[in-house]
Amino acid sequence: MQVIVPIKQILDPAGFTVHRRLERVFVNREDYIINSNDKNALEEALRLKDTYGAEVIVLSLGEPRVDDALREALAMGADQAFLLTDETLAKVDTATAALILGKAVEKIGDYDLILTGERALDTGAGQIGPRLAEYLSLPQVLEVRQVTSLDNGELRVKRNWKGGYAEVEVSLPALLSIAPQANEPRYPHGAGIMNAYREWKVTTWGLADLRLTEEELSPLIRLQREAFPPERTLGELITGTPAEAAGELMQVFRELEIRN
Amino acid sequence: MDLEYWELLTDEALEEEEEIVYRDIWVVAEVEDGVLTPVGLEMLGKARELAAALGAYVHAVLLGEGLKHLAPELIHYGADSVYLADDPRLAEYHLETYAKVLSDLFQEQKPEIILFGATDLGQELAPRLAQRLGTGLICDCLDLSIDETERVLSARHPVYDGEYFHVSTFLGTKPQIATVRPGAFRLPFADEYRYGEVEEIAVNLDGIEPKVRVLGVSADEAHPQMPLSKARVIVAGGRGVGDAEGFALVEELAKALGGQVAGSRGALAEGWIEEECLVGLDGITVKPDLYIACGISGDVHHYFAMQEARFVVAIHKNPDAPIFKIADMGIVGHPKEVIPPLLAALSP
Repeated sequence: MQVIVPIKQILDPAGFTVHRRLERVFVNREDYIINSNDKNALEEALRLKDTYGAEVIVLSLGEPRVDDALREALAMGADQAFLLTDETLAKVDTATAALILGKAVEKIGDYDLILTGERALDTGAGQIGPRLAEYLSLPQVLEVRQVTSLDNGELRVKRNWKGGYAEVEVSLPALLSIAPQANEPRYPHGAGIMNAYREWKVTTWGLADLRLTEEELSPLIRLQREAFPPERTLGELITGTPAEAAGELMQVFRELEIRN
Repeated sequence: MDLEYWELLTDEALEEEEEIVYRDIWVVAEVEDGVLTPVGLEMLGKARELAAALGAYVHAVLLGEGLKHLAPELIHYGADSVYLADDPRLAEYHLETYAKVLSDLFQEQKPEIILFGATDLGQELAPRLAQRLGTGLICDCLDLSIDETERVLSARHPVYDGEYFHVSTFLGTKPQIATVRPGAFRLPFADEYRYGEVEEIAVNLDGIEPKVRVLGVSADEAHPQMPLSKARVIVAGGRGVGDAEGFALVEELAKALGGQVAGSRGALAEGWIEEECLVGLDGITVKPDLYIACGISGDVHHYFAMQEARFVVAIHKNPDAPIFKIADMGIVGHPKEVIPPLLAALSP
């Protein structure tokens, strides 16, 4: 059984500070991490490897530094890694990324299941999974919190649905997006990390390998500007008696519709 | 000479260049338990605004079975017309059937803008449809605006879990699709004197089968404590409450307000809370409507984890505590003195 997991490398939020008043993001430390939700997808794939002996293939697209993310995935237990990179790929939007990933999946060829994270932290979009599924004409189940069973090509899962959950069944091949609460991703152990850099290979594919031309990669969306929530400052300072404070607070509760 | 004579002479059929005109704003409404969900109505309100800028009409789309009686409500809230797909096969939501009906409809009608709610349904349908129609999509929008000259939509959406926002825009492909966060826009005024058309959409589902079989839908068991990150009201305590007795007051206040208990790193160190109640960069990030910080001095770790709260109340005996710099209402006093009268006022 082959499971493909596209992962995204993002700027680590622990390394930057959002300054509301100056309306700027200060990058104190330029660190890159695997999108945490994609780790949930990878963990789910590794569990299928543990249980059913599935082969886990990770892919990612972007600059050469994305190689580090793929090494980490290999260290966690992935079997194969593909880096999709090309000098002409500047910033891709989500539709372009989905196309590139789609072409790569087609090139890999044989697969039973594709697992993605629900959404990427740095864009909050959640488009890759469904776009990829549409491109590959696969059925999709999103917000999966648990893979319940796999029997003869029939997959049963529990997914978040309207504040609760739904039990659904789908035939493979299919695409699932994994909810953040689905699991706790495992840590790569030391030997894994060493091997990931020393012994294991990351296959690199460029646009030519994927038979893509620059025209096909024109973005559909662009970032116009950043915007920031208003700065928090002190509203009202109450220095009277506790009884007076209680009165003021009751008024606040009424306005917020927490109490009548 | 005219085209027909030319074609006669040359046996060639000259095709006229057809320019595709995309127009109007389409809002996909949703129904739950037989009632229109608020997000559809909220989007209609905003759509009216955008339509005014574009000189366009607003159409609502409704899929299901036996929903015709809901069409007038969509018109009252701002739709100029309602496109209704009424079919027993649409009574329950399935991606394949809904996507087929919508993609047929949109390929025929050529909307300039399509709005979906950023709901379970919208989040699965919108990207799939955007890919099918070969167009762009911006998700989870908190605000929408139009460049009237270029007829281009821009949308503000949260990134990094809402730490800040991106304002993104479309680069020319139409329709321009967006999913809108429920509650981002106010519910508009319902004008019961508005009237409009109801159009029945032809439903062609030949060869379309749902690929995902639903075995059962359940509500989550009521947890004694709902995840802190989703709580609407949070009362948090820190070292400044003094002792376990003081923290008990924090818990009582949370109970009286129907909210959740949380704490700072100080409270965790004192053993008054468990880790899952820790509000901090190394704990949980919260976005409640009301956050009451009792005896929490308010360092950066704490601040970043609760800065999204709608209304922050700080109770601390030290008027110089940093938390007062960011509170909407600051009460100078010891929590052990300030909370009891509040509990008395709250008790029925």
